[in-house]
Amino acid sequence: MEFDPRTILVPLMFLTLVGCGPDEPVEPEPPPAPLTGTLKLVIRPTWNGVPFVMNEIYNNVNDYRVKVEGIKFYLGDVRLLNGSGNTLVKDIAFFDLRYNGDTVTWTGVQPGIWSGLSAGFGVPQALNDADPIIYPPGHPLDLANGSYWTWATAYRFFQFDGRYDLDGSGTAPPTSPFSMHTGLNACYQEFNLDLGGDIVVTAGSTSTLVIDMAVDRVFYTATDTVDLATENQTHGTNLPVALELTNCAVQSFSVE
Amino acid sequence: MKTWTIAILLLVMLGACRKDPAIVQDEVDGPFLLALPPGAPSPLIPEDNPLTVASVSLGKALFFDPRLSRDGTISCASCHFPDRAFSDTVALSRGVDGLTGMRNAPSLGNVVYHTAMFRDGGVDDLERQVIAPVEDPVEMDHFLQGAVDAVANDLEYQRKSQLAYGRPLDAFVITRAIASYERTLISGWSRYDRYVYGGELPALNESEVRGLALFNSELLNCTACHNGFDLSDHSYQNIGQYLTYADPGRERISLDPGDAGKFKVPSLRNVALTGPYMHDGAMATLEEVVDHFASGGQPHPNRSPLLTNFALSAEEKTDLIAFLNALTDERSLDQVP
Repeated sequence: MEFDPRTILVPLMFLTLVGCGPDEPVEPEPPPAPLTGTLKLVIRPTWNGVPFVMNEIYNNVNDYRVKVEGIKFYLGDVRLLNGSGNTLVKDIAFFDLRYNGDTVTWTGVQPGIWSGLSAGFGVPQALNDADPIIYPPGHPLDLANGSYWTWATAYRFFQFDGRYDLDGSGTAPPTSPFSMHTGLNACYQEFNLDLGGDIVVTAGSTSTLVIDMAVDRVFYTATDTVDLATENQTHGTNLPVALELTNCAVQSFSVE
Repeated sequence: MKTWTIAILLLVMLGACRKDPAIVQDEVDGPFLLALPPGAPSPLIPEDNPLTVASVSLGKALFFDPRLSRDGTISCASCHFPDRAFSDTVALSRGVDGLTGMRNAPSLGNVVYHTAMFRDGGVDDLERQVIAPVEDPVEMDHFLQGAVDAVANDLEYQRKSQLAYGRPLDAFVITRAIASYERTLISGWSRYDRYVYGGELPALNESEVRGLALFNSELLNCTACHNGFDLSDHSYQNIGQYLTYADPGRERISLDPGDAGKFKVPSLRNVALTGPYMHDGAMATLEEVVDHFASGGQPHPNRSPLLTNFALSAEEKTDLIAFLNALTDERSLDQVP
């Protein structure tokens, strides 16, 4: 008897077609109650206690007129603290204050009552030494942020750029550039901030923490002054200035 | 009749599904067989970026592709000429818009043996090294993602990317592929190699043999740093080129003032082709280089204690330079067809 392929093909087609039936309706399960909260961290730059405006001209501690044109920095290993321990909030965050401040929102934060924050100013070594190619667009360590020193395969931790005029009473726009970029692992500096009260993170809700960055204080601390007349450039080298600037920047942070 | 109509329609629908030209289903990649000259140690190839025919081939194409630069004018090969042992002809290379780089472009020969890249050793591996020239404002001045976008529509690149890495062409692939190609740039087929590793004594003439003896002598002490198969220990040395260096050299990376003015010891392979010399290309000829080392250099605080003053007769100098010329490869460093 001769084989007729229709004896197999036609039933197979039929089975394929009838096999596609509508799924049984499934009652959607209610979403599980969130176990973690959300933290919105706001970096609010100030100058002598009032809101700082990028590209405005201010007189700094040396009575030089300065026009800050860019502030970018990383915070690494951001943790919330209380008397019984700490919780990691984010391994790395990038802040760009071009719009007179920056805000990041982190989900998955452990609920609790927190009284302090710890972080590193810069990129932790393990992340700093990793291949930047692995980070997707939008990630704080994405190359597109323009914060990577390709010659050193390391991130710029703090980019502080602008112009200055040594004549504090001058009227013309400052023209002398300052460009101070810190980086390399030696410049990573850990710090703690007292929140000045408790911040409560509850599951399913958003808490806001505002950190002030006193840009005027980036030029000095109680013991150091970054004198733009002599210290206005650092790009990896000039470690003493980079460390001094790092120290000033860290001490410029506070929480109301 | 109706059944047959449905069956034919289904067959037509199935037949309409054709392959994406960038997706290769019937091609397979294979290992790239790296040719090693006698005496060459087996190079360490990263396990996560093995040399394959497709990866090396793709890397070569990208190496010569100016689309990686912002304005489509500069490729890796614009500063690393194959006929100059993958070095440049000028002291400081030109990037986009004619901008000048800060250091002399080094030869890429035997870069597979280097444990750190650049003259200051600031980059640990070739994969990450690739990012630097692409993004450097005085070289290609492109965001790496911009470079990816510029070549992403190249179907041949996409085909090789899928073959080699199983993924579309992206920044990961570009850095891996170019690094792979650079790892194949092996140098070790010079008359010196035939003489030393091949035991072929006539490969060097009498003058070159005398030059080799001088090179190996304690008086000149060249081999304190220029040793091993690559004729470099890849250490960082201050050779007293200046009393005050405009370029901090290794200090830029280590932040140690004791490293000021130190640069990675270059290989002497193909040295006749790789001028101008030194980190800034300040010395145009091998004669100038020999004169510098004979003088012992400037008394910089970090000057290497391995430097010795020496005096050479005119004939000895000729012999030494003749030997250096015998370090030129007799075949191309490029192994990729």
